[in-house]
Amino acid sequence: MAHPLRQDARPVVDASTTARGSRIDLDGVSRRYRVGEVTVTALEQVDLHVDEAAFVVILGPSGSGKTTLLNLIGALDVATEGRVRVAGQDLTAASRVERARLRRHTVSFVFQSFNLFPGLTALENVQFGADVAGREHPREAAAATLAEVGLEARAAHFPHQLSGGEQQRVAIARALATGNPVLLADEPTGELDFRTGVAILELLRRQAEAGTTVLVVTHNREIARVADRVVELSSGHVVGDGPPPGGRAPVSELHW
Amino acid sequence: MRTRGLFLRWTARDLRRRWLLVAAIALVLALGTGTYAALIGSSDWRRESNDRSFALLRMHDVRMTLSEGLTADAGVLADAVTRIPQAGQVQDVAERLVVPTLVDVSGPGEQVLVPGRIVGMPVDPPVDLLHVTSGQGLRAGDPAVVLERSFADYYDLPDAGTLRVAGNRAVSYAGHGQLPEYFAIAGGGGGSFTTEAGFGVVFAPLETAQQLAGAPGRVNEVVLRLAPGADDEEVAAALEDELAGRGLAGTAVVKGEEVVYRTLYEDIDGDEQFWRIIAGLLLAGAAFATFNLTTRVVEAQRREIGIGMALGLPRWRLAIRPLALGLQIAVVGVLLGVVVGVVTGRLFGGLFRSLLPLPVWEQAFPYATYLQAAALGFLLPLLGVAWPTWRAVRVEPVEAIRVGHLAARGTRLAPLLRRIALPGRSWHQMPVRNLVRTPRRTVLTALGIGAAIATLVTVFGILDSFTRTLDDFDAETTTSAPDRVTVQFTDVLPEDAPQVAAVSAAPQVGGSAATLLVEGTARAGGEEVPLALSVRDMAGGLWRPTVTGGDPADGVVLSEVAARDLGVAPGDRVELDHPQRSAAGVTRATTEVVVAGTHPGPIRAVAYLDRSRAAPFGMAGLVNVLEVSPAGGVTQDELTRALFEVPGVASVQAATAVTDSFREALGAFTSVLGVAAAITLLLALLIAFNATSIATDERAREHATMFAFGLPRRAVLAMSMVESALIGLLGTGAGVGLGYLLTRYTVEVQLHRTLPEFCMPAVVSPTTVGVALALGVGAVALTPLVTLRQLGRMDIPATLRVVE
Repeated sequence: MAHPLRQDARPVVDASTTARGSRIDLDGVSRRYRVGEVTVTALEQVDLHVDEAAFVVILGPSGSGKTTLLNLIGALDVATEGRVRVAGQDLTAASRVERARLRRHTVSFVFQSFNLFPGLTALENVQFGADVAGREHPREAAAATLAEVGLEARAAHFPHQLSGGEQQRVAIARALATGNPVLLADEPTGELDFRTGVAILELLRRQAEAGTTVLVVTHNREIARVADRVVELSSGHVVGDGPPPGGRAPVSELHW
Repeated sequence: MRTRGLFLRWTARDLRRRWLLVAAIALVLALGTGTYAALIGSSDWRRESNDRSFALLRMHDVRMTLSEGLTADAGVLADAVTRIPQAGQVQDVAERLVVPTLVDVSGPGEQVLVPGRIVGMPVDPPVDLLHVTSGQGLRAGDPAVVLERSFADYYDLPDAGTLRVAGNRAVSYAGHGQLPEYFAIAGGGGGSFTTEAGFGVVFAPLETAQQLAGAPGRVNEVVLRLAPGADDEEVAAALEDELAGRGLAGTAVVKGEEVVYRTLYEDIDGDEQFWRIIAGLLLAGAAFATFNLTTRVVEAQRREIGIGMALGLPRWRLAIRPLALGLQIAVVGVLLGVVVGVVTGRLFGGLFRSLLPLPVWEQAFPYATYLQAAALGFLLPLLGVAWPTWRAVRVEPVEAIRVGHLAARGTRLAPLLRRIALPGRSWHQMPVRNLVRTPRRTVLTALGIGAAIATLVTVFGILDSFTRTLDDFDAETTTSAPDRVTVQFTDVLPEDAPQVAAVSAAPQVGGSAATLLVEGTARAGGEEVPLALSVRDMAGGLWRPTVTGGDPADGVVLSEVAARDLGVAPGDRVELDHPQRSAAGVTRATTEVVVAGTHPGPIRAVAYLDRSRAAPFGMAGLVNVLEVSPAGGVTQDELTRALFEVPGVASVQAATAVTDSFREALGAFTSVLGVAAAITLLLALLIAFNATSIATDERAREHATMFAFGLPRRAVLAMSMVESALIGLLGTGAGVGLGYLLTRYTVEVQLHRTLPEFCMPAVVSPTTVGVALALGVGAVALTPLVTLRQLGRMDIPATLRVVE
């Protein structure tokens, strides 16, 4: 199989922006779905501007539109109205190929249910991220990233041989191994126990401090305490935006 | 309980959602069961048709034919019948005059000049009735003849017209018809082989035949019908003895030994064995595929079953949905199987009718065979769903509902998986890893494809074996004087007879070699093999066979397969039963002779004896066949037509006529096998399509994850194609291996048993292997392309959210 990315491996964003996170801008963004005869509005006139290397928590109850927001930023979905810009690229009019390219070189995902490839070892799952992003020496990069999340000893294990927390750390390592400037995490601690969840948040926090723009979607208000900024959604509208009440707390102070 | 209605609605909803998959799996099943029923069931209606056709025309029980060149006054043979001790058991008798000839039915723009036979018979015989298929039959006082139906049909001849026979004599024909011995044209006599295209039979009133043969008032054959319970072998032996005592040597053949009668019934047995292999393979392929596919569909529901268990539903109720799936597939499969069975049966029926136009064809639907296949077809999908359902309800609910329970499941092959590391990108590992991760489904899918490919290889392998044999035979026949023709005389003649001289001296003739062709039997170690013995110049002549083992002039040269069947080698001795001419007439004699060597020809009966050794056999200086090569500038056709007009010439045909006839017959055979091949191909593609379709559903989340990371659709598709190709390669490898073994078994065991007169090696050509690879790997690898649209329309966020 030839490398499917070789011809378009050039990142779509400027190298200077990828080095230390990327800016995200949403202006008047709406997303509506047709479900049979009914139109469901997931997001309505959302304006959001995120600086580079920020650690932002999108908070809201189930059905508030937070995952839809993440999908629009991650170029998995297209807005019905408004404009979405990530790392300087306007996604509103982007083609399928352009959006795929942005996912390869600008954003990376961490999912609630990990979505690791069961046929690949932990190291290979991480390498997948590096491979897709077209990084040089992907295996070495993957090994280093896996070590960064403390799983170098588990490199040769398959997902089913890892605990839930370890699987999520591999998923984060896979996202980090891309070297992309934006990291999108959808309920990354949703399926984890407290201790493991805290460890994961610590890891994500460190990424932001290292320069990656990190957006974490959660319904857990406690998690929002470690963010630089909390954007609260309700019924598709932004109902709150600012630093966490009482200021940013260290991860060690979290309880849930 | 109210939940019963809920489960029924749920089941109906399931069916609405995946009716295409249900139909596709059911079609796989139907192809297996329907084709099985059609193929195996064909034996019953073919036997029934044979029985009724032979009975309708009151086929003889015994036929006594005088040795070549011998005739007797009309009434002598019938009188001999009344003198045998078993005369009281004879119900009907008819005398005939059967002589070889050439038949010319050339019309404007088409030259048709073929060897043939005139069968002179009573106009209204009590035995061996002439079945008139078009035009008029034989009539008293009318010299018009009737043309054999298959020959007439092949050349699309009108119901009435004029033909010419040897000696360039014009004869009117008034219709087309059949006699039991000519239901199938399989032999031109003398161990040769021909088809309806190359052999013209003319049924004539006895007086007309006598006149055309220049033998007024003479006959050379008598046919008898015996009373029920009579011993035909005893009657045949007594008749041979009675006539031998009158100096009229000949051979009596009982009905069961008549080539056509035996072939028609043995063909059914042989075909049935062959169809059992083909049908068994198709059924096995369909069974593997159905079991595998239904299992996979149900495994995808295991988490839902676990949720039901957690909610306290009884296990039997949880089994309703998966079992309903099995039931749906079973019912649709059985119904579609009837359709496939009927369509395939009609297809085969039509082909057999055209290949073998019997007077009576009774094609009944093979209910008993179909019920066997249907029972299996009904059980398979139920078993396919029962197995995973049983596994699903055995686990603890907490296990079943755990996220990733299935997707992240490990196998005992995990250590092996770790070692399988291919160079390149991480996703390059996935196709191989996916296969090793799920070995049972990989093996079942590969076996399904493998069974279909094995069928294909067996079918084409048999054709390859025939083709190779004919090619080798052609090469052997044309080592020298490739354009020579074989001229057969109407009688056995001295070498210096005027008829022989007339042929040799014809201006179109470049060279000639005298040959005597007689029928005989070789015996050794309790075994016997009928022979067509060619007494010829083994050191010179226009052509001589390749002989291994010794000096061909030392004795008889047998075919390799005849030597094998007799258990003899060069240097051994065999007893040769043969006709012997003396002043008292032609009698039969047995002479011991050394096996001088063997020849590689595929026809077991063909044997050679050097003319220098003919004297002890009473055959010195005699000739009934002349091999002739054309003079410079004369074509084979021109030579044939010129010799047609020479008096005393019965037939003229090219040296390669035997292989030409075989190729003609092979063409018809190919059309029958082509149906099986087409079904096979359809089955392999359906299995691959279903497997791909289900795999696409199973891997939806993996694919969505890849898309989320920006991997292009073509890369995901390429992975699926590589995975399909690997499964195809596994299946094709197994299929080619199994197909080769089955080809060997079919050719070397089955065909040798039903067609011992013909010997051929089992061959699977590179072309067949190439076709198998192209279909089994190439076509199967392409099946993921059908999911292209599905991948393109994937709702990535929704798929990523879905928990399996």
